[in-house]
Amino acid sequence: MKKTLLTTAAMLALAGAAQAEGKLNVYVWSDSIAPELIEKFSAAYDVDVTVDGYNSNEDLLTKLQAGASGYDLATPSQHFVKILIDEGLLEDISAHDLAAYGQVDEKWRGQWWDPENDYSIPIAYGTAGFTVNRDVYDGPVDSWATYFEAPDALKGKIASLNYPDEVVGAAQLYLGVEFCSEDPTEMKKVYDLLAAQKPDVAVYASDNIENRIGSGEVGAHFWWDGNSLRTRKNDGAPIEFAMPKEGLVGWLDSMVVPAGAANVENAKLFMNFMSEPENATIQYNYYAHSSPVELDLEKAEYTPENAPELFPTVPVEFSKACSPAAQDLVTKVWTQLLQ
Amino acid sequence: MKDFRFWGLLPAHVMMALTLIVPILIIVAVSFATRGAYGGFEFSFSTEAYRQILFNEGWTGELEFNPQYLLIIGRTVILAALTTLICMALAFPVAYWITLQGRTARVILLFMVTLPFWVSMIVRVYAWLIILGNEGVIEKALKLTGLVTDIDTLLFNSGAMLVGMVYSYIPLMILPVFASIEKLDPALIEASHDLHGSRAVTLRRVILPLCWPGLAAGAILVFVPCLGAVLEPILLGGGKIMMMGNLIQMQFGGARNWPFGAAIAILLMVLVMVFLLLNGLRATRRAMEEMT
Repeated sequence: MKKTLLTTAAMLALAGAAQAEGKLNVYVWSDSIAPELIEKFSAAYDVDVTVDGYNSNEDLLTKLQAGASGYDLATPSQHFVKILIDEGLLEDISAHDLAAYGQVDEKWRGQWWDPENDYSIPIAYGTAGFTVNRDVYDGPVDSWATYFEAPDALKGKIASLNYPDEVVGAAQLYLGVEFCSEDPTEMKKVYDLLAAQKPDVAVYASDNIENRIGSGEVGAHFWWDGNSLRTRKNDGAPIEFAMPKEGLVGWLDSMVVPAGAANVENAKLFMNFMSEPENATIQYNYYAHSSPVELDLEKAEYTPENAPELFPTVPVEFSKACSPAAQDLVTKVWTQLLQ
Repeated sequence: MKDFRFWGLLPAHVMMALTLIVPILIIVAVSFATRGAYGGFEFSFSTEAYRQILFNEGWTGELEFNPQYLLIIGRTVILAALTTLICMALAFPVAYWITLQGRTARVILLFMVTLPFWVSMIVRVYAWLIILGNEGVIEKALKLTGLVTDIDTLLFNSGAMLVGMVYSYIPLMILPVFASIEKLDPALIEASHDLHGSRAVTLRRVILPLCWPGLAAGAILVFVPCLGAVLEPILLGGGKIMMMGNLIQMQFGGARNWPFGAAIAILLMVLVMVFLLLNGLRATRRAMEEMT
């Protein structure tokens, strides 16, 4: 009896070890990785991949702060890469030694969020702006004024997001207030703008955006470039991603490894895999956001002609990692707005 | 024997302590900690989080009394109370009607009341987005009647939120009310009529008082989760006004202020406890009155 138990225990332990070798737990933006690439990676390296999704950088930060998340790979945006590094929540994987690093476009190397490229390999970048439904509104979309100071056609038909991060950033661009401003009088202006906009806002929501803007339930929605592109191309929705002259809010997501991850080597394999031109192209065509690594241009679907969303003609300002004082002002704006 | 009672129940006590008491103590501890720069918290004592509920720095930097959080809390309590009242008003006749059915029908009807719980909450709330949405069932029906021709949208207001809340929580009211009506002795109703009590009087003086325990239990089951509702305000209410649940969520997310989030959660819990205590006291007083 005892022997059987021992053998079983030993076998279980072995099985456990064998399984742990072939595992990768990925925590990324919801629906952001092409499913066919997950399958291809699993088959090629005999690794069991599980994918969980999040909808905001804050969700990721909170989960990693709570500790022992069990994830091996995540894709935070640039300002959260900086925060995660500063908080000691990422594994130093000497990313600059990976094959993937060689594929990364020069302009995305050595950036302020990871100056030595120790922690991160970029996977996608793009902008946050607003999309209009052309059946509802046919006026000009060359300024944030259309969004924040709605013309008659858009009154009551504006939709915003349900968290402040990028919305406040856009308001700052429009008003010429610096990102992460610690000056209360400047941020009061942001509050006044958003408060004046509120009567025209139908909904503050970050889910189900495709439907809401595609069907014309709202006329203008705060949104991301690639999502707008996908909905326009795949569903034939009569929508247009605006190019406001004041600028767009930029983001760049990078693959990183949370501190204490169990399968660091598999995470590195995955980074290399995702950065190979063939796979990066499949990912690009699926996700429809710009790629920071070299692509197979023959197979890449989007060009400036058929996807103007991805090739902004206006300045792009990247979100920064705000100090607690600045973040408190952002929260204050949002709380007072929705109080 | 007594020993066994203690040791036999020990696993249950340990479970309770580990899964209920300890987490609450952790929340209390966090609410008195100092916030970390980017979320999280540091172990140094501070009552800052509780001060923040009432006093905040204004736009010009001076500390001032700011009722914004009290507004959010008050609004949440009112919404929860309204939901509870509507649930009571709707659940009572439904439950009463179910008790009047035959045995098989009763079982089937009760099963149907609990049926929605087999589906995820998010899916059920989303269903209301479709029902109330543009070109949804209600809008189409209204247009068919010809009375209304142009509806902007039925969604994204407090009414839609209330509908969603009532729908989500009404089964929790029907079940206890059903249980208490089922125990009602028909002889008492007959007696009331024999004594020339009209239907209204019988309802008010005989049936309702006897069913009060069921209504009270239902009220607790509905009111308490309503205080913490997050989904309905965001999805159906359009996220335009904040509720307590959303406020707490925001403190742990975007606002990166865990101690304040914990402090509000504690306040929410205290409110719930006060509500339960008042309810309990009332029940005891009533029981005492009946005994004397």
